[in-house]
Amino acid sequence: MMNPLRDVWQSIFRRDPLSTDKGKSELVFLNVWLHIHPAKVKKENLKVKHTFYLGFITFFLFLILVTTGVALMFYYRPNPPQAYQDMKDLQFAVYLGSFLRNMHRWAAHGMVICVFLHMCRVFYTGSYKRPRQFNWVIGVVLFLLTLGLSFTGYLLPWDQLAFWAITVGTNIGSYAPLVGARIRELLLGGHTVGEAALLRFYVLHVAVLPAVMTLLTMVHFWRVRKDGGLSRPVWKLKAEKSAQLVTIGAPDTSAPLAVVPASKDKTYGLMEVVTGKPIFETVSMEEEEDTVFSYPYAFFREGVALLITVATVMAVSIFWQAPLEELANPAKTPNPAKAPWYFLGLQELVSHSALLGGVIVPGLAVLALLAIPYIDPNPSRRPADRKWAIRAFTLFVVVNVVLIVVGTLFRGPGWAFVPPWVHITGAE
Amino acid sequence: MERRLPQFFFAFSLIVLALMLGAIWQAGTPAWKTYQQEFHRLEAAGEPNAAAKSGVLNADLVIRQDLLPGLQRVDRCTTCHLGVEDPTMKNAPQPFAFHPNLAPHVPARFGCTVCHGGQGLATDNQNAHGRVAFWQEPLLPKQYIRASCGRCHKEGEVPGVPELTDGRRLFETQGCRGCHKLNGVGGTIGPDLTEEGAIRRAPAWLERHFLDPNAVSRNSPMPNFHFTKEQARALTFYMLSLTSEQMATYYSSVRLIPSAGYGRELFIEKNCIACHNVGGVGAKSGPDLLGVTKNHSAGWLDEQLVNPELVYPGSIMPAYDLETNARKAIIAFMASATAEDAQSILAGRARPLTAQDAAIEAGKQSFARFGCVGCHGLQLQGGVPNPNSQGGEVPSLLHASDDYTKEEVIKIIRNGKVPPLDNPAKPAAPLYMPSWKGLLADEDINRIADYLWSLQKKKEGW
Amino acid sequence: MNRRSFFSWGTAGLVALCSAISVSLGAVVRFLTPSVFYEPPQNFKIGNPADFSFGPPTFLAEEKIFVFRDREKGFAVANAVCTHLGCTVGYFQNDERFHCPCHGSVFNADGAVQHGPAPRPLEWFEVTLARDGRLRVDKDHVVPASYRLMVS
Repeated sequence: MMNPLRDVWQSIFRRDPLSTDKGKSELVFLNVWLHIHPAKVKKENLKVKHTFYLGFITFFLFLILVTTGVALMFYYRPNPPQAYQDMKDLQFAVYLGSFLRNMHRWAAHGMVICVFLHMCRVFYTGSYKRPRQFNWVIGVVLFLLTLGLSFTGYLLPWDQLAFWAITVGTNIGSYAPLVGARIRELLLGGHTVGEAALLRFYVLHVAVLPAVMTLLTMVHFWRVRKDGGLSRPVWKLKAEKSAQLVTIGAPDTSAPLAVVPASKDKTYGLMEVVTGKPIFETVSMEEEEDTVFSYPYAFFREGVALLITVATVMAVSIFWQAPLEELANPAKTPNPAKAPWYFLGLQELVSHSALLGGVIVPGLAVLALLAIPYIDPNPSRRPADRKWAIRAFTLFVVVNVVLIVVGTLFRGPGWAFVPPWVHITGAE
Repeated sequence: MERRLPQFFFAFSLIVLALMLGAIWQAGTPAWKTYQQEFHRLEAAGEPNAAAKSGVLNADLVIRQDLLPGLQRVDRCTTCHLGVEDPTMKNAPQPFAFHPNLAPHVPARFGCTVCHGGQGLATDNQNAHGRVAFWQEPLLPKQYIRASCGRCHKEGEVPGVPELTDGRRLFETQGCRGCHKLNGVGGTIGPDLTEEGAIRRAPAWLERHFLDPNAVSRNSPMPNFHFTKEQARALTFYMLSLTSEQMATYYSSVRLIPSAGYGRELFIEKNCIACHNVGGVGAKSGPDLLGVTKNHSAGWLDEQLVNPELVYPGSIMPAYDLETNARKAIIAFMASATAEDAQSILAGRARPLTAQDAAIEAGKQSFARFGCVGCHGLQLQGGVPNPNSQGGEVPSLLHASDDYTKEEVIKIIRNGKVPPLDNPAKPAAPLYMPSWKGLLADEDINRIADYLWSLQKKKEGW
Repeated sequence: MNRRSFFSWGTAGLVALCSAISVSLGAVVRFLTPSVFYEPPQNFKIGNPADFSFGPPTFLAEEKIFVFRDREKGFAVANAVCTHLGCTVGYFQNDERFHCPCHGSVFNADGAVQHGPAPRPLEWFEVTLARDGRLRVDKDHVVPASYRLMVS
């Protein structure tokens, strides 16, 4: 029977109903937004306690930041001193202005923390090992981009906190040999933080860095799919299943490079064999009982993760105001002048030695991070087999956290070591 | 997990919805809306009929702001303070009370914060009144609000605020410039006060400081001038007015209020009584000025002051370089001047000065104006403590001629002098003679030396 | 997996989510609607009645209005912005009409279009007496040409 509305609907939504397996598959591979997912996932891919969904949460925080950021752009002008006035307007005169600004600020802090936790999780589950080494490198670059976005955004309120944090931060950067001063000049568009710096930081923050981050995120997700999907605890496979494990060796030696479950090289198109006419060719690969459809299992889990992320950011934003200090005053340095919290560890190092602490040690740390997948010879992902790797990385994490805690809580005026429980009576 | 998953999804969707509604409720119920509704009820009570009442009660609730580009401010105080221009709200409770004596400083032109302090951009009580961290200009306490008049009216008299004139006079005569720079002139021992009113808006601190500097600023080299409470208050007013803001022409054109009191000061300063008389009292070379404003228009009188020869060709009256409001002030004085005024002016006049006397008088004025009295004393007695200097205090200048020639004294004034230390191991003495060569013209320095020499006490004979 | 439970909780969840999203969209539109304006105000005071002369209207350049004062009938305030394309019209005493310099529109003393491309008559704004005795003009309230404010 001819039903024009139904025709219109079906010309847009071409899949079969979701009650059918074919429909569930088509929801994924016919949909441009969802087709990065496999149509079916292994059950272990869904384990919360394995990945804690940190990658998803980081991505969702990024989405929150983009939407709230665009909203804020309607009211913010990157010229000092209008920038500060616009921050005040957002707080006092714009409907939901302070809520959206708070969401943006807290989501930013959250994203820095979650991207770091995600990196730790990937390390601890050994998910960077062959063939996923380069995706780890992309991940570290994404981490640095996250710090860059947070840093460029930090200047935009143009208050004392922003101005001096960026002054300190760009000065730390200028210690890099050969290129340090030049990079500082390019960032600031001048010799000191001023109008030119605010405009450049604004362009970096709203256009350049988000674009680069989006592109690299696309590569990052793509590679996760191509490398075999989300991380799962391979070593917990049952004993009989482990007999089906296959050792992948290098072509001309027998040295094992990786131990993976028995499957052929996994290329995607992992579908159910169904009747009817598919849109394109599919090949079925996996055991039935190990996999479930992405819809609804994976999607509802992701949905819950998204909702929890959004709810947390909203709740924090309703109750806690993002700080705004007095208007930036180049003539008056607060004492102490501190970099943003994620750079405080760096500032602590710099306070001991500019070249060693500010350039060499952090530079080596980043290089070491990038090189991890290439210098780690152990093919096993099981924690019991990687004790020293885990200890080394944990030490790295603890040192970072301690440095940041010291920089935040234990450094007072003049960068003197003052425990937070000692109250200093300052000048009036 | 599987079975509970849809429940989780539903639960968190509800939580997100609830939080969204919560944020909307938070944004939609700011305190200012409540205040506006209350004000509308007050207004409605005064309306004569039901239609007018309902019109007022249903008026929109909006943020009201005064855009003040010339003052570089935006004030939203009238969002809650809705009755400031409404005389029927004379007895209304705050924040709705009527603001008496507002004209010509209407909010549309002046806002509120330029006089009262506070954070104009804010729309809630705590933030708007500036009683929050990171806002440096909280509301001024009631008794100090009139000090803000001096932010625009920087010269002459401000009617109703004698403290400003007193404070300015005390500053110039008590020698503050000896240690403090103001508008580029002064010493460097203490902080520059050009922007003191902008930096430090804490009137209580300022007043305590004037009464006893060391009580609020430890180890301050500033001596205790033993000011009275009124003097400390006057100086505090003056300090609060030192904001050196850049204001658009409209505001800076009223630096000087053309008051009759200031007109009298100018009349004395320009020595009008040397040629004119008022009701017969005074000199006879120029006309009697009694009632001159009744016989001539303000425009005519103004022209007379600008260019006397144009009005009376061949007139010997000099063309004084007076700004518009200064001329208005003189004319205002003329409107009320009587023979008694002329008499008191004549009585206060010093005797005619010889050239030598004039030089000494000028030197005396400079000595006071540039702050020398601050350390050396009004009677040149010295005595201000200067720890670890030889003698332990600022020297008296009454015996300067015993130890120095006049040329040597002139050299010390030009180049400055650090006092020799009593004990070189201890820290340097806090007070020193600054170098005045860039700040004082050579003529001024010579006249100061003349003044000093006119007061020298001869050494007692052996 | 119980399919039935999915359709009740899952659907309910989607409904809740969609409500949250529509509420958010409404909130976004309200967010984008300005609450404060960085422009000259629409509602402002122009001075005391005594400041305005009878006869030809007083032109206030900054506010772009003409203030008429009639001995019998009182005050009226006309918009000086031409209804054609927005130029400022001038009042000419010799023919008691408004002439627009841009495309030659002519309006008579009531604001009605005599001549020219203007599509509508000049607007008249509400003028009231504020409680401090000054005249208040509200550009957000357009009134008929016959509106007058009688001031004793």
